[in-house]
Amino acid sequence: MAINAQIALTVFMGVLLIAVIAWLTRIEDWRSYSASAGGVVSQGERSEYIEQEKPAGIVRWLTTVDHKDIGILYGAYGLFAFAVGGLMVAAMRIELATPNTTFIEPAVYNSLLTSHGITMLFLFGTPIIAAFANYLVPLIIGADDMAFPRINAIAFWLLPPSAIMIWAGFFAQPLGLGFGPAQTAWTMYTPLSAGVGNDPAGGAGIDLMLLGLHLSGVAATMGAINFIATIFTQRDENVSWANLDIFSWTILTQSGLILFAFPLLGSALLMLLADRKFGTTFFLTDGGNMLWQHLFWFFGHPEVYILVLPMMGIVSYVLPRFAGRQLFGFKFVVYSTLAIGVLSFGVWAHHMFATGMDPRLRASFMAVSLAIAIPSAVKTFNWITTLWNGRLRLTTPMLFCIGFVSNFIIGGVTGVFLASIPVDLVLHDTYYVVGHFHYIVMGAIAFAGFAGIYYWFPLVTRRMYQATLGKAHFALSFIGTNITFFAMILLGYGGMPRRYATYLPQFFTLNAIATVGAMILLVGQIIFVWNLVTSWLGGKRIESGDPWNLKEDGVHTVEWQWLDRRIETALTDGGDEEPIADGGEVRTDGGTESDDD
Amino acid sequence: MDESPGLSDQYRKASPWPVFVALGLPLSEIGLVFDLFPIAVGGLLLFCGSIVGLLLESEYATTMWKPLIVMSGLLGVFGGLLIVADGTTDVTLLTRAYATFAAAIVMALGVVAGKLFVPKRGIPT
Repeated sequence: MAINAQIALTVFMGVLLIAVIAWLTRIEDWRSYSASAGGVVSQGERSEYIEQEKPAGIVRWLTTVDHKDIGILYGAYGLFAFAVGGLMVAAMRIELATPNTTFIEPAVYNSLLTSHGITMLFLFGTPIIAAFANYLVPLIIGADDMAFPRINAIAFWLLPPSAIMIWAGFFAQPLGLGFGPAQTAWTMYTPLSAGVGNDPAGGAGIDLMLLGLHLSGVAATMGAINFIATIFTQRDENVSWANLDIFSWTILTQSGLILFAFPLLGSALLMLLADRKFGTTFFLTDGGNMLWQHLFWFFGHPEVYILVLPMMGIVSYVLPRFAGRQLFGFKFVVYSTLAIGVLSFGVWAHHMFATGMDPRLRASFMAVSLAIAIPSAVKTFNWITTLWNGRLRLTTPMLFCIGFVSNFIIGGVTGVFLASIPVDLVLHDTYYVVGHFHYIVMGAIAFAGFAGIYYWFPLVTRRMYQATLGKAHFALSFIGTNITFFAMILLGYGGMPRRYATYLPQFFTLNAIATVGAMILLVGQIIFVWNLVTSWLGGKRIESGDPWNLKEDGVHTVEWQWLDRRIETALTDGGDEEPIADGGEVRTDGGTESDDD
Repeated sequence: MDESPGLSDQYRKASPWPVFVALGLPLSEIGLVFDLFPIAVGGLLLFCGSIVGLLLESEYATTMWKPLIVMSGLLGVFGGLLIVADGTTDVTLLTRAYATFAAAIVMALGVVAGKLFVPKRGIPT
């Protein structure tokens, strides 16, 4: 049997490699660059399709190294993962509508809980930010492309295998492969995740999840190096550090955080994998559990800022456009971004206040955790001040930006309480924590993502979305978020512990309310997907590069100028119009002060 | 026509290699971690081969022989480390080491065959 399996695998790999080679020889002219022995290959020898145009059809998407295409791929991938993670949690919330097990078994609930968290953070959150950054950063800073276009493509293509590995347990179970999905929660705390005993938490499903997470970390790190190199070296000569836009600043800071946080996660994951597979004892000896938590949260807390900083960048970029003015206190928004970036590495142990760690150490982490509220508040006040006396236009992206600020305040203030040791010891591991961080990840991060998607939808598709559906999406999302997660905060005050598939009957009412809220959210997201798909296929075409009437307020930024030029050139069919120098009309958020009002 | 004025059309906007680098890496990881010899060998060949393809395409290398030899050497060293570590772990690492060696040997043989049989083009005779 084992030999048969080996033969089958050998045949499979052989066929795969031959198929790869056959495909490559079809589309790639190997002779063009083999064995030229130092000679420079002349252009004529190269395969035609690459030099002239992008290839057609699916091959274009499989082989593209264009930052805009890769941005679209990241976006499609992120939204797919968002749908998967959303459906997972819909099943969980339906189960939680009643105190007892009615819809899914506790083991399935645990698996969904694990995968929901990991999917939303690693397969939706990080990629959707990469989508915006890939498409926009090179355009905004006047770069030809990313500094390393091929590495950019590799970073994206690592993500689909990583998703398959993370979700593998769900496929393996029905296929009878003898293992199920991981049930470790996204924090993968040892000893549960280290495979002691009969390894009841998922077996090989955990190993595959660890490998998948490791891969997604490699992808994120490659992307981060690329963004840092691009922003440092590929800027147009007119784009200085002084007038670099706020979105690029946040991407630069985020990339720095990724560079320090993700390799650490990767190492910790490999150590855990070694514990599981090769008999090492990194996390199985005395103190091993604390070691895992320290390593995990040294990555895990910066991860929060890895997700939120670029989204804050999007809000800082989009919100002033519909307030008819420049961002208030631009410099201080940048400084606060950098401050958050630095401080984010000094707060990790606030996730561990209840572990019995040294109280003196605990106090220092409390101080830094409370301190990080200051730069966050600086940003919040700057957004509010930007709105103050502005000429507000409540378009869908603007509504999501305002929703972001509102939810961020609730999520942030509930977080300040958790940063305080005595309060944390009471609320630790309750639904209060779940409510708090969902106000940030759903109420803020996803909202800013929606704002960005609606705002740049015309830039990418040259079509407009359906405004009424967009506003319905906002209304349902805003109401659904607040019902669901405020109910969770109240449940936490009531003492309901998190991570369980069942609960005591006394928590029924608020749980039912939270489930209703989640269903409202679900309906909102179905409308969102419908709107995106139908508008992309048949929405109203935009006629100029200024679909938001930004010129009126003098805030027509470079990416829209680029679109203007594209549309004009398309209209004149390649006429020899003067290219507009970016430098003359650069209107980024930074630099020149505006006294529009 | 104006894909983007100001954006360069001079560089290649398509490359077949990244998708295979990204396929080869997880295959080799799965093969080595789960001790699946054929998957490990095939994954490593795909991974290393695609990297060589990238190096040639971006003109960091002019022929594929040197990068292949370097990677073959690196895999050889890695396999050697696995053999050294073998005694210290609960599970045997030998087949994993052999898989790494196998991939290294295939690449080295490829280089030998290439050096012997592929005519040097681009040089006037």
